[in-house]
Amino acid sequence: MLRNIFRVNNPKGVIGLNRRNIEFIYPHNQRKHYTLADDKVKSKMILHENNIACARTYAIIDRISQIKSKWSELQNQQSLVIKPARGCGGEGIKILKKGEDGQWQSSGRNITDNQIFQHITSIISGLFSMASNDVCLIEECIVPHSFFAEIYDEGVPDFRIITLKGKPLMAMLRMPTSKSDGKANLHQKGVGIGVNMKYGTLTQVFDGKNYSNHHPDNTARVNGKKIPYWFTMVQLAKKTAKAFPLEYLGIDLVIDKVKGPQIMEVNVRPGLGIQLVNKCGLQSTLS
Amino acid sequence: MNVPKQFKFILVGLCLLAVASIVYKTNLLSKNKDSFGADESYLITYRYFFKTDTAKTFIKTYLPKNNPHQQISGQKSVMPNTVHFSTSADGPNIKGNWICEAQNTYESVSYSFLFKGKGQVFGLPENFKPHPEGIETYLSATENIQVFASPIDTLAKSLREGIDSDKGTIQSLFNYVHAIPSAPIITLTDAVSALERNEASCNGKSRLFVALARNLGYPARIKGGIILTESNKRTSHAWAELFVNGVWVPFDALNGHFAYLPANYLELHEGDAFLIAHSPGIQFDYSYEIRKQESLPLLNEEAKEVEKVTAFSLWGLVRNKSISKKNLFLLLMLPLGGLVVALLRNIVGIRTFGVFLPVLIAFSLLETGFTVGLALFLFLILFVGLISRPFDSMGLLHTPKLVISLTLMVLVMTLGNYFGVSFGITWLSSLTLFPTIILTISAERFSKLIVEDGFQKATGTLLQTLLAVGVCFLLFSIKGLDAILILFPELLLLVITASMVLGRYIGLRWTELLRFQPLLNSKFA
Repeated sequence: MLRNIFRVNNPKGVIGLNRRNIEFIYPHNQRKHYTLADDKVKSKMILHENNIACARTYAIIDRISQIKSKWSELQNQQSLVIKPARGCGGEGIKILKKGEDGQWQSSGRNITDNQIFQHITSIISGLFSMASNDVCLIEECIVPHSFFAEIYDEGVPDFRIITLKGKPLMAMLRMPTSKSDGKANLHQKGVGIGVNMKYGTLTQVFDGKNYSNHHPDNTARVNGKKIPYWFTMVQLAKKTAKAFPLEYLGIDLVIDKVKGPQIMEVNVRPGLGIQLVNKCGLQSTLS
Repeated sequence: MNVPKQFKFILVGLCLLAVASIVYKTNLLSKNKDSFGADESYLITYRYFFKTDTAKTFIKTYLPKNNPHQQISGQKSVMPNTVHFSTSADGPNIKGNWICEAQNTYESVSYSFLFKGKGQVFGLPENFKPHPEGIETYLSATENIQVFASPIDTLAKSLREGIDSDKGTIQSLFNYVHAIPSAPIITLTDAVSALERNEASCNGKSRLFVALARNLGYPARIKGGIILTESNKRTSHAWAELFVNGVWVPFDALNGHFAYLPANYLELHEGDAFLIAHSPGIQFDYSYEIRKQESLPLLNEEAKEVEKVTAFSLWGLVRNKSISKKNLFLLLMLPLGGLVVALLRNIVGIRTFGVFLPVLIAFSLLETGFTVGLALFLFLILFVGLISRPFDSMGLLHTPKLVISLTLMVLVMTLGNYFGVSFGITWLSSLTLFPTIILTISAERFSKLIVEDGFQKATGTLLQTLLAVGVCFLLFSIKGLDAILILFPELLLLVITASMVLGRYIGLRWTELLRFQPLLNSKFA
C-alpha cells in the first residue's frame, strides 16, 4: 500500500533531489574533493595542470600586502576579470577594460587604482563568500563568440554539460534575458535552451514555465540552430571530467571569439532544471 | 525503496528490540493503570509545635479526602510516643486529633500526604432546577453569614434586578464580590462587615458571596482548604460552593475563579469553620510545608510492578531532580521533531532553516503561545531586516554585522520584557531566555538567507519553515506525549529506524512532482 502511495508515473526517468543525492552525488563525489570544484582557484590549477582550455590566470592574491605589487604587474593587460575564489551567486565579480586613454574602466566608467584595491581587499576579507577570508582570482576576460550574440547579445551566457564517470549525459545553453539582469540562471529569469547532443544543435527554449522555439527577446528561431565547436566542447568536457577526482559534474563552458571553447567552472551539485529544459529525465540517459 | 541487506538486518533488529520492550512495559502498565489523570501533584506536610498544658492537650485539624478533584495517598503521621493520634468523622469532613498526655513539655507532630489534583471546569446552565428538599441548612443564616440582614437583602435584590437567568444572577453576585478590594485581614470578617468595609480577605468574600446567594434562594456553602504552591506557608484559603442541579460548583471570588477549581486547590473541609483547633491557652505554632512533585499522568507510582517499568525509563532522572521534566521532554522531542522535519523536507520537499531550528522554534512557541510567539517572531525578523539595512550599506564584514543585529535584537527583547513586566502586559513578558535565543537565531538565519538567496526565495523558505513549525507545534501539543516519551525512551530507536528508511528514499518529493509536472504528465510527451 505504501508503495502505491509513493508510486508516480515517471515515463521519462526524471530524478529528484533525493535520487540525485543518493545515487549520483554520494557514491561518485567524495566530500573531501568538493572544494576542488567549489574553489575557483583550485579548479583552475587542475585545469592548467592538465592543459585544458580555460581563461588564462593573471594573478592569485591571497594576502592584502600583495595587492599593490601584483596589480602593478598587470598593467600591460587590456582587459581582465576580478573574482572571489569562493563567491556565491556571481557576487563580487568585476570586469575591467582599459579605455582609450589607458585608464581602467568598469561598466563603462573610470575606476581608480584605490577603488580596485578596495574591491580586492573586500574579496580577500570574505565579503562575497560568507566566510572570514577568501582568495582573489584575476584572469583573462573571455570575449563571447558571435554565436551567442545571434541569439541575445547581453550578459554572460554559457553551456552546461552534465557528466557521469566521464560520460556526458545531457547539456543545455543558458542565456540571460532582458529581465534577468545579465544572469543566465533559470531561477533568475534566464532561459535554458536544450541541446541535441548527437547532432550538436539547439532544441526548445524553456523560460521556467513554457517552451518556445525562440529566445524571448528575439523572434529568430533557435530550435535546430547549429552549435559551433560542439564536438570540441564535448571532448573538452570529457577531458575535464577525467582531470577531477569527482565523477558527477556539471561543467560550464563558453566559446571565446578567438580561442574557441573554454571551461568556465565545474559544479559538484548541478541543478536538476536541465531535465525540464531538455524534456528528458537524467535516469533515461544512463542506459 | 531500495535497501541493502545488512541495512535490513539492523532495521529489523532495532525495531524488534524497541517493540518488544514497549509491549512488555505497556503490559505491566496496563495492569496498574492510573485512571485519575492528575494535572498537578504536591507533597504536603502539616507541622505543629506546642507546649503541653497540665491537662490533656489536644490539636484538631481537617484531613483531606479523595474526591473527583483530588486524590490523597501516602498519609503518614509522625509524633512522639506521648502523643496519641486518631481520626474521626465530623459531619462530611474527616478530622485528625492529636492528644498528648505529657504535661509541660514541648512537642512537635507532623502529618504528611501526597496530593494529586486536577483542574475542574463546570458549565452552568442558564436556569437551575429547583433545589431538592433536605438541604435547607444551606439556605439559612448563621452568625457570620447574615443572610437576611437588610444590607445583604438590599444588595442581593439590586444585583438581581433586570437579570432574568440564574446564571446571570450568579455572575452578577460574583462580579460584585470579586470587585471588592482584597486585603489580608486577620480578624474575623463576617458577611455584613465585608460589605460595609468594602475590603475583605478570602473568608469575608466567601461569606458575603454565600450570604448573597442564600438570600436569593440558591443553596450555598463555604469550602476550606489550602492553595498549593512550592512554599512553606501558614495561610489557608476559603471559597464558596453553590448547589446547581445536584452538583456543588466552586466559586472563588477572591481569585476570580467562576465555576472553576484549579488543580492546586487542596480541599479540606466544607462549612464555615477554622482549619485548626487546639487546647485553649497553650503555646502553639504551625506551618504547611508544600513541595511540588513532578508527575506523569499514566503512572500510578504506588504500584510495585510500575517500578519495573520506571527502572527502564527516564522517569528516575526526573524524580531524582537530575533534570526537569520540561527539559527532558525538550531533549526527547528533538529527535522526534527532527524526524518530522526530515519527512517534510525529503518527502514533501519544503525548505526550512536547518533541521532542528523549526523544532526549537516550536518549543519556544509552547512557552509564549502560538499566535503571540508567531507574531513576535515575524516582528523580530522584520526588525532585523530593517536595522541591518543601514549596516549593509556601510560595507561591514558579515560576522561583525551579525553581532550588531543580534545585539540590537537582544536589546529590543529585553526592553520588551521590561515593559511587559512593569505594565503587566503578559505577552511581552513571556519572552524568557530560551525563546529569546531561538527566535534571535532564526531571525539571524533569515537575514543571512536574504543575502544568499535573495528576498523572494528567503521569504519562501521562511514561510515553509513556519509550516514545519506549525506541524511540530501540533505534535508537541499532543497531550500525554511527554509521559509516553519519558516512559518509553526506546521509541527513539524507532526514530532511528524510520530515519534509516527515510535516508534511502529516492522518490520524487511532492514539490518536485509539481516542478517536473510537464515531464511526468504523459500526454505532454
